[in-house]
Amino acid sequence: MDGIETFNLTRQFNGLVAVDGIDLKIGEGELFSLLGPNGAGKTTTIKMLCCLFRPTEGTARVMGYDIVKEPFKVKEIIGVSPQETAISERLNSWENLSLVGRIYGLSSGETKKRSLELLEIMGLAERGRERTSKFSGGMKRRLSIAMAMVHNPPILFLDEPTLGLDPQARRATWEHIASLKGKKTILLTTHYMEEADFLSDRVAIIDRGKIVALDTPSELKASFPKTPTMLILAEGVSDALVQGLKERYQHVDGYGGKLKIADEKLDFGELTHYLESNGATIRSAALEEPTLEDVFIRLTGKELRE
Amino acid sequence: MRFVEIGQRNLKELYRDPVALGFLLGMPLAFILIFSFAFGGQTTGAVSIGVVDEDQSQVSKGFVSYLQNIPALRIISPVYSSQAEADEELSGGGLSIYLLIPRGFGEAIEGQQIVNMELVYNQADPMLPQRVRPIVEAASLGYLDISIPLNIELAQKEAQIKDEYVNYLIPGMVVFGLMILIPSVSGIMVRDRTRGFLSRLMTTPARPWDFILGYTLPFVPVIIISVAIYLGVGVLMGLTIVGNIGLALLVLFILGICCMGIGMIVGTLSKTEDQATGAPWIFIVPLVMISGAWWPVEQMPSVLRVVAEAFPFLHAIDASRYIITSGVGFGAVLPDLYWLTGWAVALFAIGVLLFRRSMTS
Repeated sequence: MDGIETFNLTRQFNGLVAVDGIDLKIGEGELFSLLGPNGAGKTTTIKMLCCLFRPTEGTARVMGYDIVKEPFKVKEIIGVSPQETAISERLNSWENLSLVGRIYGLSSGETKKRSLELLEIMGLAERGRERTSKFSGGMKRRLSIAMAMVHNPPILFLDEPTLGLDPQARRATWEHIASLKGKKTILLTTHYMEEADFLSDRVAIIDRGKIVALDTPSELKASFPKTPTMLILAEGVSDALVQGLKERYQHVDGYGGKLKIADEKLDFGELTHYLESNGATIRSAALEEPTLEDVFIRLTGKELRE
Repeated sequence: MRFVEIGQRNLKELYRDPVALGFLLGMPLAFILIFSFAFGGQTTGAVSIGVVDEDQSQVSKGFVSYLQNIPALRIISPVYSSQAEADEELSGGGLSIYLLIPRGFGEAIEGQQIVNMELVYNQADPMLPQRVRPIVEAASLGYLDISIPLNIELAQKEAQIKDEYVNYLIPGMVVFGLMILIPSVSGIMVRDRTRGFLSRLMTTPARPWDFILGYTLPFVPVIIISVAIYLGVGVLMGLTIVGNIGLALLVLFILGICCMGIGMIVGTLSKTEDQATGAPWIFIVPLVMISGAWWPVEQMPSVLRVVAEAFPFLHAIDASRYIITSGVGFGAVLPDLYWLTGWAVALFAIGVLLFRRSMTS
């Protein structure tokens, strides 16, 4: 059985199509990312899957339960971390977790055990008794994710789990999510390339409510090869040299000693020879790796982060 | 000129939220309308008054028919022949004031002797004797050509009341205080919705009833404590509780439940916290005013009276006032209790339906 399966899943808001006929199959235990810019339909998709929005057309099954016909069956087996850091700020972490645990019908003993585990995993154990209004954004997010898991659901929806976090907190949250891989079916939405790349088994790129590409991160990158690009740090780069480079290569950016050179037929030896024979001393050189961002730009013709 | 930009932005913010705007404009508008409608111009109606003619003489009958022709008075018919009958009506709430013409009135008048009449009233409106007295005095002067000393007294049970005004005011104020539950209940619900917390809870298997009760039950202790405080302070200020305090608490408690139900509905329908906490005042204040919480509604145009009677507030104020001040029993306030309970049940039923609908959009 698939973890999540959607059939022509569609949602309109006053005639505007937010999600446009999505067909997906997410295997049990898979970590699947929906990657797309704001307004692409990621959150709407998640909200339909957790029965907050009714599909205009089509439906979906979550572990075999129909989201339209059996919403309360679906709600039993899912855990949701919404995009808003939806925690109760006048309660402490323990109280937040117990509230959720008890709503799902866990005994107080089980709730306590699970809360303790989750506080440890999320690195919140030391401040478990503190009012969450005093927490940093990262801590609130981690608590919010923990609250989605108190009842140990087989299906987890994480809507932009690292939105607004600093790089360090983001990295820590990724580690936590990665540790769940294989144990749960996880549907994650993000507009961070690195996040989808780092975490996902498979990525669907979504734009204007439609899935425009779907594959593993490495396959996606391989199937949309990038123009070979060199990043070079050098001394003694004269304006004349930059001008010369611009005549030889398709795309050249030069600020001070930093050069970015892209060309379909880029030859590393030829380039370094040209630079050094024109008075430049190369300090470092690197080939720029293709990223999901390149894939995205190719597919949609726009940058991901507005 | 950044302030112009900011000002324009806030202006848009305001007029794009019609409910908040309606509140801003509607509240003063409602005050103006209600005050002028209720107290302005010549709309003051005749005072309903009972007459007890114990004398049954030519003189007393003539005086009664003279009174019946005074436009400012509406003499309740039939004219009572014994004080006991009138007292019964007075304590049951069917009558607020009566004039007693004592035995021997006619003889005394003819014999040019001094005779007293009495005005007996209950607490429905402590201003009544002040309004009636000059009319009766003028009538006696006009018809009998003599000035008759007029004794004014409260009905028997109410004679023990220390401060008529406090007894009049407190029940209305308790009801007004309970109405403030409306924005409190709706506020907490909408705060959770705007911060996504309610959505999160809606992804759990919790059912509509779980939410309705979960968001209202915490206010039950608030109802009990606030009623206790209002009445306690009332007693300190001179409130005399003549009737059964438990019965009064029951009436006020059910009204509190009604207010919770209204708050829950407002909370379900509001989109912003401002709407949820502000909008209820649009109807709270006018309803308080026409329900007799702050001043007597006897002289109000009957249209307003009909409107007020449709809502639960006037019933709670009237019933608790009669229980506390006139000492009426369960039977006398039963219609009010039915009305209040019906409202509570209807509000919760509507609340659940609306909330269920709001769970999937």
